[in-house]
Amino acid sequence: MTGWRGGKFALVVHPELSVLSQYQSLLSKHGFTTVVARDLPTALLAITQHYFDIAIVASQLGEAGDGWPLAGVLHLVFPGSYIGVLVAGADLLTLQSAINHGVQDVFEITQSPQSVVKASVAAAKLAESKKSGEPLQ
Amino acid sequence: MLPKPSLLIVDDEPNVLLTLKLVLEEDGYQISTAGSFAEAVKLMQTPGQFDAILTDLWMEREDVGLELARSASKLNPRPIVVIFTGYGSTSNARAALGVPVDYFALKPLDVDELKRVLNRLVMTNLTARRWRS
Repeated sequence: MTGWRGGKFALVVHPELSVLSQYQSLLSKHGFTTVVARDLPTALLAITQHYFDIAIVASQLGEAGDGWPLAGVLHLVFPGSYIGVLVAGADLLTLQSAINHGVQDVFEITQSPQSVVKASVAAAKLAESKKSGEPLQ
Repeated sequence: MLPKPSLLIVDDEPNVLLTLKLVLEEDGYQISTAGSFAEAVKLMQTPGQFDAILTDLWMEREDVGLELARSASKLNPRPIVVIFTGYGSTSNARAALGVPVDYFALKPLDVDELKRVLNRLVMTNLTARRWRS
């Protein structure tokens, strides 16, 4: 997954610092340099500066904006990358939003960051191996 | 001049097929239609034949549109897949998320929204393909 870019990057967007810190720590253990953002403008700036292999975005970013359009932008800018969205509840309209914004998976906010990161990293590796034809590591 | 983008529309209701065909032909697409999953799979055998596939979810079987989306995901180049349904549920939407499906529309269809989304998806896909080649 590293390729010529020389490193794997992850983006986590969530309004709570404690949550960002947990995700940053977990993703680092999987070898990702993790950029965090608490709001939409910071996340958009980060998108202009790095190629992200994984993005985990909260659907509710508080007053600063909505996570769904951000997920859509991430999908357009990094079409081969993995995007997961943290949601309050995975009802039909939420799942429809996920599909229509190019999101690969949704996770309920009650799920532990450990399980979200584990699933995200596994899905990103699977997608990468399908693209390159290389075996999973 | 670039060729018209080609669409395959799949639905077991002839009226829906005809309406979508007329609406999307008017928007500049070259349209093929199929009345069942089996008929659609036959038409999809030539790779690169369709830029997008629009399919109903429930036809001869429940959620058979997802099987069609899975078949489409194995094609190279992969066409855009749009699923529309009057029987949306968390179960079939979650399944669609993993296929993947590019757009999931609930009936009654908003035709203007469908045209706008389809144009964006098809043009983005075609541009990316041209850029890669």
